[in-house]
Amino acid sequence: MTVATPSLARGAPPGRFSLKKFRDFPMIPMLILLIIALVAIFADFLAPYDPQFGSLSQRYRPPAWQEGGSMAHLLGTDHVGRDVLSRLIFGARVSMIVGVTAVLVAGGIGTLLGILSGYLGGWVDQVIMRVADAWLALPALTFAIFLAAIVGPSELNIIIILGAVYWTRYARVIRGEVLSLKQREFVRLAIVAGCPKRLIMWRHILPNVINSAVVLGTLMLGVVIVTEAALSFLGVGVPPPKPAWGLMMADGKQGLMVGRWWLTVLPGTCIMLMVLSANLLGDWLRVKLDPQLRQL
Amino acid sequence: MRTKTVIRLDSNESAGTDNRKPSKITRRTAMALSTLGIVELGRGTAMAASPDGQLTWAVHVSLAPTWFDPAETPGIITPFMIMYAMHDAMVKPMPGNAAEPCLAESWKAAPDKLSYEFTVRAGVKFHNGDPVTAEDVKFSFERYRGTSAAMLKARMKAVETPDARTVRFVLKEPWPDFLTFYSSATGAGWIVPKKYVEKVGDEQFKKAPVGAGPYRFVSFTPGVELVMEAFDGYWRKMPTVKRLVFRTVPEEGTRLAALKRGEVDMAYSIRGELAEDLRKTPGLTLKSVVIQAPFWLYFADQWDPKSPWHDQRVREAARLAIDYKAVSEALTLGYSPVTNSIIPDNFAFYWKPPAAVYNPAKAKELLAAAGHGRGFEAGDYYCDTSYANVAEAVINYLQVAGIRLRLRPLERAAFFSSYSQKKLKNVIQGASGAFGNAATRLEAFAVKGGAYTYGNYPDIDDLFAKQASELDEKKRTELLHRIQQIIHERSVYAPIWQLAFLNGVGKRVGESGLGLIKGHAYSAPYEDVTIKK
Amino acid sequence: MKQYIIRRTGYSLLSLFLLSLTIFLFVRVTGDPTSLLLEPGASLEDIANLRRQFGLDQPLWLQYWLFVKSFLTGDLGLSFYYRTPVLDLYFERLPNSLLLAAVAMILSLVIGIPSGVLAAVHVGGFWDNAGKIFTLLGLSLPSFFIGLVLILIFTVYLGWLPSSGAGTAWHVVMPAFTLGWYFAAAHMRLTRSSMLEVLGSEYVKLARLKGLPEAMVVGKHAFKNALIPVITLAGINLVVMINVAVVVETVFAWPGIGRLLYEGITFRDFPIVQAVVVLGGSMIILVNLLVDILYAFIDPRIRLES
Repeated sequence: MTVATPSLARGAPPGRFSLKKFRDFPMIPMLILLIIALVAIFADFLAPYDPQFGSLSQRYRPPAWQEGGSMAHLLGTDHVGRDVLSRLIFGARVSMIVGVTAVLVAGGIGTLLGILSGYLGGWVDQVIMRVADAWLALPALTFAIFLAAIVGPSELNIIIILGAVYWTRYARVIRGEVLSLKQREFVRLAIVAGCPKRLIMWRHILPNVINSAVVLGTLMLGVVIVTEAALSFLGVGVPPPKPAWGLMMADGKQGLMVGRWWLTVLPGTCIMLMVLSANLLGDWLRVKLDPQLRQL
Repeated sequence: MRTKTVIRLDSNESAGTDNRKPSKITRRTAMALSTLGIVELGRGTAMAASPDGQLTWAVHVSLAPTWFDPAETPGIITPFMIMYAMHDAMVKPMPGNAAEPCLAESWKAAPDKLSYEFTVRAGVKFHNGDPVTAEDVKFSFERYRGTSAAMLKARMKAVETPDARTVRFVLKEPWPDFLTFYSSATGAGWIVPKKYVEKVGDEQFKKAPVGAGPYRFVSFTPGVELVMEAFDGYWRKMPTVKRLVFRTVPEEGTRLAALKRGEVDMAYSIRGELAEDLRKTPGLTLKSVVIQAPFWLYFADQWDPKSPWHDQRVREAARLAIDYKAVSEALTLGYSPVTNSIIPDNFAFYWKPPAAVYNPAKAKELLAAAGHGRGFEAGDYYCDTSYANVAEAVINYLQVAGIRLRLRPLERAAFFSSYSQKKLKNVIQGASGAFGNAATRLEAFAVKGGAYTYGNYPDIDDLFAKQASELDEKKRTELLHRIQQIIHERSVYAPIWQLAFLNGVGKRVGESGLGLIKGHAYSAPYEDVTIKK
Repeated sequence: MKQYIIRRTGYSLLSLFLLSLTIFLFVRVTGDPTSLLLEPGASLEDIANLRRQFGLDQPLWLQYWLFVKSFLTGDLGLSFYYRTPVLDLYFERLPNSLLLAAVAMILSLVIGIPSGVLAAVHVGGFWDNAGKIFTLLGLSLPSFFIGLVLILIFTVYLGWLPSSGAGTAWHVVMPAFTLGWYFAAAHMRLTRSSMLEVLGSEYVKLARLKGLPEAMVVGKHAFKNALIPVITLAGINLVVMINVAVVVETVFAWPGIGRLLYEGITFRDFPIVQAVVVLGGSMIILVNLLVDILYAFIDPRIRLES
């Protein structure tokens, strides 16, 4: 069964992990992501209030350091009197879960179909790529509204929508990678040696595209988080009163004109930090792991 | 706390106005302004100045060409925004009068109530110069295909035109509501030029509409703007503003910004926080208009004996737990009156219920008596996403009382289709701005077989069947009042408020026309709108 | 080759069929247009009347056939909301969408390409990081937020730019910047890596060996070659822009296709949604078809394989 492992082939396959590559590691972005992840995990212990409950009499309190603010609500309260800090803390959880899971869903489907499409070719390739074409033509928003109408609004729904919208990007990139891998000697050797297709895809192709998938994933994380906010703006995002950063911004957008900056600027900063960090990390990974993957 | 306009209007009244009842202010505003309107009418004709300048509105919805054609009038209020400018009706709601003779000089009902005879006003012309004749009136009625068209036509035996200025509507049997339907709830009484429509056809008519209103059509760009110009031959008076522009601006923050920069003179639908800012901005005025759209909670499970909502005490507790005034204060600056009814207060057969009470302690007592001393999981709370802010506030109040609900906001189209297909459960936050009267609303929302009725009470159904065949107005009113009373007593619904539409008015505007006509959401009549001198 | 083109075209038609069927069913499953064009509580008679006018009382297969037929005859029917021909509405909005996308694209390239070149020339230096962060900011903030902040600054405080609408050159500035900034990051990234690749190539090394000044090497030889992939990506993004512009169009009341589609969806205006999605889809599918055929010409292996 074990025929022609990559090491036997002349020229090692591209982009395997190696410690040497961890020079100029983006410390700060990694730290930010780590903090967000920790906050998400320990939200229950960190948040001073219930993020979904507030009282109208407490609404629109500014942050503590501003006139009219108090230490009771360090970062102020929103339009129904909910504590902004608590919502930001729990928002980290919602955003992380939605972002990471959606990327995993998109990445999972996209990578799988990309490999099948690229490696098997023929009618499988055609069908997958044609479905991807039709899919790409269906605007994300259209899809989001319809799915929300069918399934009902929920975080899960948003994950499905985002995953379903973005799998085609993976499929295209991975398919391209696979097409070039197929020409590589270690894959050809495996074919000549009579290795079954399933095994080649699993053993030889997948490990060599996983880098691209990881890079693409870090870059997609930002896109997904920002799209989630846009969906909230259009009224089909994570349903209220869930504390999601995008929803908080959409809810607070009116406040911008009235000087209630904390309702949008604070969640906006969180989103920005997360997306920026994910992108900087992704950029670094891209250069280190996979210099060929440029068109992202 | 109150707007400048309101203060200005109050000074016209000798009696002091109660601050805390915005609905009253609106009604009085309308009355006060109607007198102003009449005063102005006299002055206008005396001076006969030619119209000048331009006013621009930032409109919250996309204007549709169907609204240029009265024959298409659907059962919503928005098209009247345009119709009051471009067209005119035989009889229509005007300041201080729900049925004022306009293109009709006068009318009389036959003693047997089987026919109504209208006399067309002398010398009235369409924008293209054609005179308005009885033929046009007949043609417009027969061509009408909008809301209630089939019913109007089914009840009509004939429309006769004995001479060029007389139209007679002959009914099959007496129908006391005829005038209501002809003058307000439909577009059947709005007159289009027969010759022109027949010449150009329906499609072309929407592209270049001609009417008898104070403003004539100039240009329309779908999704962008509509431009109209003063019609110097308008019978009632010469409009004082030369050009009207209606510009679509979907995002309300952008509407406010446009108003602040002076790009537009009026901005429709500015809510909550933005309205507060508007009120604080020097030179800008906030004008509220209460529309015929009550909001409510509907306890969809109350007919299911296993549901906690089956217990009337639980429903009462829910009603007592919500501070409606505070919700209105928070979201519409207190302008949405808490009417405590699912029927709009300006509707025929409306029964005025006792004022809503906020008593959280009593709510808790009732819940304890019903066996929910520690509160209970009450299920889902469905609402239209655009009003999720109302829902969030209400849910918090209910939670304080111990009624724990999970918010399930649905996108508007999905919400209303699931609502009418009876797919929702537990608690539904609904609203309606449909035309009609108390009977039509009850039919849809409280009586067996209604489009939005999830269950029924036999006594209500009986009373409703009785009123439907009752010809005596007084007895019918009694029956309909009784139904509303039962709904109130049984807490079938928890009415929230009657929505106030908040609008911004810029500093160039003299008379905005907002709130002049009772229950009308937009500026009207346009010939009364002025630019400040 | 001929056979390949025929087969590939057939597959494209299949995509189009899938798309049209999906959108046709989606709009119908998820909401009833009459419930939005009429107020809740409207009489049953009015609802039935409207359904008849829209042809919604017909069986589903017949509705689909009529939709396909209308598409083939290039008619596309009347919008439920506007009651005017969908095609007119579409082509009235298309120039606006194209204008917005074109200006946004130019802005994104104006931001993206120079910062990409600078970054490539100073890898790891100040310009590299500054450029990266500036372009990434456009990607990391939701565009409705950027849009509203711009309106707040340039309309409300400074009073320089009109808040919304279309008509003059000033109107396009804020929406185009908001949209363009979002895409600048992608263009910056690609310019940077493409430049790096070209700068490392034999050909540039040769130019340097010949003693050409560095500015000349970078500006003329490297830049020109590095630009090709960037332009290719920009072409693809131009189509994407028209699709993602809906939020920007809403904030700035820009009368484009995205807004038309969004309103079509919220009102369940079936003819509009179907037309916009299928027309937009046809464009994307057509572009993909042309690209594939082009590749087949260049690389014979592709047509042999499939």
